[in-house]
Amino acid sequence: MNPLLSIKNLVKVYGKDTRALNGISLDFYPGEFIVVIGPSGAGKSTFIRCINRLVDPSEGEIVFDGQHLEKLTGRKLRKNRAGIGMIFQHYNLVGRTNVIKNVLHGQLSNLPLYKSLLGLYRHEDKQEAVELLKKVGLQDQIYKRANELSGGQMQRVGICRAILQRPKLLLADEPIASLDPLSANIVMQQLHTISREKQLTCIVNLHQVDYAKKYATRIIGIKQGAVVFDGVPSQLTEAMIREIYEGKESQMALKNESPHLPGALTDNERSHAMPMAAGQNDE
Amino acid sequence: MNNKAINYKIPIDQREIKRPLFIMLSIFALLSFSVYYLEISFIEMMMGLPNFVMFFFQKFFPPNAENLQHYIPAVIDTLGYAVISTYISTIIAFILGILISENTNKFKTLQVVTRGFVSILRNIPFIIWGALLVYIFGIGGIVGVFALILVTVGFLSKSYAESIDEISGDKLEALRANGSSYLQILFHGVIPEFIPAWINWTLFAFEINVRASVVLGLVGAGGIGVLIDTNINLFKYGEAITIIAVVVIIILLTELVTNSIRKRFV
Ligand SMILES: Nc1ncnc2c1ncn2[C@@H]1O[C@H](COP(=O)(O)OP(=O)(O)OP(=O)(O)O)[C@@H](O)[C@H]1O
Ligand SMILES: [Mg+2]
Repeated sequence: MNPLLSIKNLVKVYGKDTRALNGISLDFYPGEFIVVIGPSGAGKSTFIRCINRLVDPSEGEIVFDGQHLEKLTGRKLRKNRAGIGMIFQHYNLVGRTNVIKNVLHGQLSNLPLYKSLLGLYRHEDKQEAVELLKKVGLQDQIYKRANELSGGQMQRVGICRAILQRPKLLLADEPIASLDPLSANIVMQQLHTISREKQLTCIVNLHQVDYAKKYATRIIGIKQGAVVFDGVPSQLTEAMIREIYEGKESQMALKNESPHLPGALTDNERSHAMPMAAGQNDE
Repeated sequence: MNNKAINYKIPIDQREIKRPLFIMLSIFALLSFSVYYLEISFIEMMMGLPNFVMFFFQKFFPPNAENLQHYIPAVIDTLGYAVISTYISTIIAFILGILISENTNKFKTLQVVTRGFVSILRNIPFIIWGALLVYIFGIGGIVGVFALILVTVGFLSKSYAESIDEISGDKLEALRANGSSYLQILFHGVIPEFIPAWINWTLFAFEINVRASVVLGLVGAGGIGVLIDTNINLFKYGEAITIIAVVVIIILLTELVTNSIRKRFV
């Protein structure tokens, strides 16, 4: 199988001598759910942002779906970005715009300006937007302003927006870091379910090792801008975790103490967890 | 050592007393110099005060409201100048504001040039623009509108730019990441977030423009200010005071209206 995304010797130097990425080479295959973990400042955000060029890499190659992204500019870059969805820690919704319009922003790149200004989105896009919102339990908030939602609700809108791009690759930079444990659980659950349904390749930065183990098909550990672990969750031993977070054990300990562990649910409960959780709109 | 510390005084200010004292003395020196240099005599001022009050009440009272209905066109002119100039300014200023803000313009040189241009407009007082333009175009309403536009563009561009700068880059980043074009980011990201600030600044500019268009009349640029000037020059103080009262009422009404719009929309 050909990789969907192939990264070769990626280097990012901020300013003169902040080497955030130290030569990362990785291949990502269709359908993988990859979780990137690592201590604060390891370069996780920089890595994920280099993929869609929100950050310009200093050296290296990014081949996405057969296209070299590192050299693209202008219209071509935009076209390729449209094929990569992104979910942000701070949701990054347009607060004074309503929920469904925020979701439809996912289709802006396929629409000429005048049509988007007149709100002339395609019918199937609007339909899918509504369906996605229903799926994440926001059917009653469709016409609310985005800034009237709770954090968890905003992030679910963020997921819908990214999915409406109909991307091949989904990037998420700490999607649950600003949420309370309960909302975090719901959001992570839904992100996972939807991306499985749509057979998306996901790359998710997380601080929580337990979430990584629960959802990932592959975990990548980054430390000081270099890959120090790359394997399936079962290979991520306690010793390995300790090595990744070496010198920053306090961060690791915190991560293991989140109270509402999804793992604590029985299988039976878990199968109910998502629809139940989706119904909670006013957390 | 801890026990000892209790006996020490703990200052709650790090700075010494000398500094504020020095600043106060300098300000006083500046004042004294100005008074001395301009040969302003406070005693004369005090002595003149009763005269001034007497003059005011003798000449300006009773107000003469006979010609009240004749002021109406001038009032409408004045408000009209303010409306037109605010309207045109907001469009021009919006474009310039986008060019000045870092959020919406990545070309540094264009940014600096626009900022400089706007700063010139803003830093020349409108009364000087008015006098200059009267000199060029002659007396008339167009001069008033033109002068107001120049200054309002200066003021609004800078204010708009600051408000656009305050829109967090995060929100726009999401649109950048999903392949939206520059204009789409502008119209779907920047403008919706900018609207409350836009309403606020524009109403504020309108209030200023109503006042300013009265004053502009005094240099011959049309509107109700012209009437004040003529009547005083003709020693018709009773009429002048009526017109001044009308002006005050217009300004108060304007503020009432703008405040209620603000409450409703922002
Ligand atoms: N815009 C920037 N300018 C300069 N240095 C930066 C910038 N962004 C990140 N860095 C530096 O690059 C390094 C990696 O940062 P990055 O944000 O990628 O880490 P991270 O793994 O995402 O951390 P966290 O878990 O705290 O989010 C850090 O040393 C950081 O200080
Ligand atoms: Mg980060």
